[in-house]
Amino acid sequence: MLNDKKFSLYSLILMALMSVMMLLPLWNVIATAFSTNLDSMKPGLLLWPETFSVEGFEVLFNRLEFWRPFANTMFVTVIGVFLHVFLASVGGYVMAQPNLPGKHFLTGIILLTLTIPSQIIMVPLFIVFKDFHLLNTLTSLIVAELVSGFSILLMRNYFEQIPHSLLEAARIDGASNLTIFFKVYLPLTIPGLITVGLFDVVRKYNMFVKPLIFINDPEKITLQIALKSIVMLDNSTSSSDIVTNNVVAGAIVVALVPLVLFYPYIQKFFIKGAHAGAEKG
Amino acid sequence: MVLLPDAITSFVSFRKGSMDTRLLKKYAPLYVLITPIIIYFCVFIFYPLSQAFYISIQEFGLLGSSGFVGLDNYYTIFDDSDFLQVIENTIVLSLGITFFGFTLPIIPAIALVEITQMAAKRWFQTLIYLPNLFSWVIIIGIWMTFLSPAGSLNSVLISLGIIDAPILFFANEDYARGMIVFQTVWKDIGYTTVIYFSAILSINTDLYEAAEMDGATVWQKIWNITIPQLYPTMKIVFLITLLGSLRTFDSAYLMSNGLISHKITTLALYVYEQGILEFDLGIANAAGVILLIIAISLALAVQKITRNK
Repeated sequence: MLNDKKFSLYSLILMALMSVMMLLPLWNVIATAFSTNLDSMKPGLLLWPETFSVEGFEVLFNRLEFWRPFANTMFVTVIGVFLHVFLASVGGYVMAQPNLPGKHFLTGIILLTLTIPSQIIMVPLFIVFKDFHLLNTLTSLIVAELVSGFSILLMRNYFEQIPHSLLEAARIDGASNLTIFFKVYLPLTIPGLITVGLFDVVRKYNMFVKPLIFINDPEKITLQIALKSIVMLDNSTSSSDIVTNNVVAGAIVVALVPLVLFYPYIQKFFIKGAHAGAEKG
Repeated sequence: MVLLPDAITSFVSFRKGSMDTRLLKKYAPLYVLITPIIIYFCVFIFYPLSQAFYISIQEFGLLGSSGFVGLDNYYTIFDDSDFLQVIENTIVLSLGITFFGFTLPIIPAIALVEITQMAAKRWFQTLIYLPNLFSWVIIIGIWMTFLSPAGSLNSVLISLGIIDAPILFFANEDYARGMIVFQTVWKDIGYTTVIYFSAILSINTDLYEAAEMDGATVWQKIWNITIPQLYPTMKIVFLITLLGSLRTFDSAYLMSNGLISHKITTLALYVYEQGILEFDLGIANAAGVILLIIAISLALAVQKITRNK
């Protein structure tokens, strides 16, 4: 746009440097994860394992039973995201109905939920979960983010793009609301369902404050909390003697794998979302 | 927070609408569908919010409320020098995160637009966006590994003779706030860059061509066209970054240790410590309400200022 060859070259160099800045610490962690226990503790620049080793991963899975929090997170993520997407699309479907009496009122409620920072209601929410006997259950983590105003509004935007004539035609044919929802609306908004789902996958996978507050039982802790105990060398696990740097790095690498596998899809939908956001602004 | 004025407008316009029984019948199934969602919001958001206000004016112990105390909890925390330190931490961290988080990404966004090699452009976008997906545990874990006393950066700096002893990035109170700001910006810069990047792409190219004919230099074009054209996007990014930074919790929680926590305990973290760890519910909720008031007044102030311009 500026049409200047020299500036374009500087831009390339700047972005290359910035990419190194993003990648270098990450690369360092991967190299540490595949080093031996001893090598990982030695001072020095570590960008390639001196001796390739999976000792760290063995400790992680055999002695620290890292698979258990991983399985818990998978459980919460799979079931939680499924329910979240379903409820968000039900909400979005209702909110997308033109001329629905009271729509402004409902929109008001949904917008209001978005304005309340979760930290402010953290303590009363803890009491609510206690009263429902949900503390120390994985169900609490599914309930905690069952549906969100953000996802409902996102789904509404997708539903609103469906031509109104299609809805009227289905109504004239005698289709009920449920039939219209499942047979007409959902199949036409697959990209929307995927976007809302991917957002929620990342949110559930990274969930931190809620499992921190709601879950005490070591059998039920989630990945991020287990990772926290290892990274912060939480002595409550009485395993700090075996947690060498390669174990810490190994845990980070294991936690990164699902994100990296999902990344191409996430990037496709998220970056599109960010572009759309900018256009609206 | 951004949306508060819109929420108010929605409620006001609802009162103007009219209801018709025939319409109500037609739409009844839709109300049945949305009701569980509204109940969910009431139970898990609005009820806890009202409780936060209610508990903040009660003397609250393990067994529940033991009476109304008015604003006593508020007086108690404002008399506490720890709490004033917490307010200072929240403001300083917020200012740092907001300032760097909203200005710095403009540079890579401008650079990205000028890169002509399409493959490189895609790769750079992919790489800088990546940390945005990482949880705070991963972010802190990555940097703690890289910056540990025997870690890569300290080792290189020592062998180059730049420093004599390792820098304790995570255990020095002078670095604590800087480390939070740095890591937050590192995490979010890719996301914000993409927003600025698409905003720059939508600028009318005629402006640049006209400037070219007038003999404008690259810097003049950036300063006089790109930046002013970015103002609307910058306002939104500023507001989102500011409100997000006020909620700083995960990074401060994870970085806290005996040596530095007094410099980085934020309001959100204070609410957690008082409410969940100490179970001092009156104090915790008073702090929560103060956070809510700060957030809402800042949001309204920023919106008012930027709307007038």
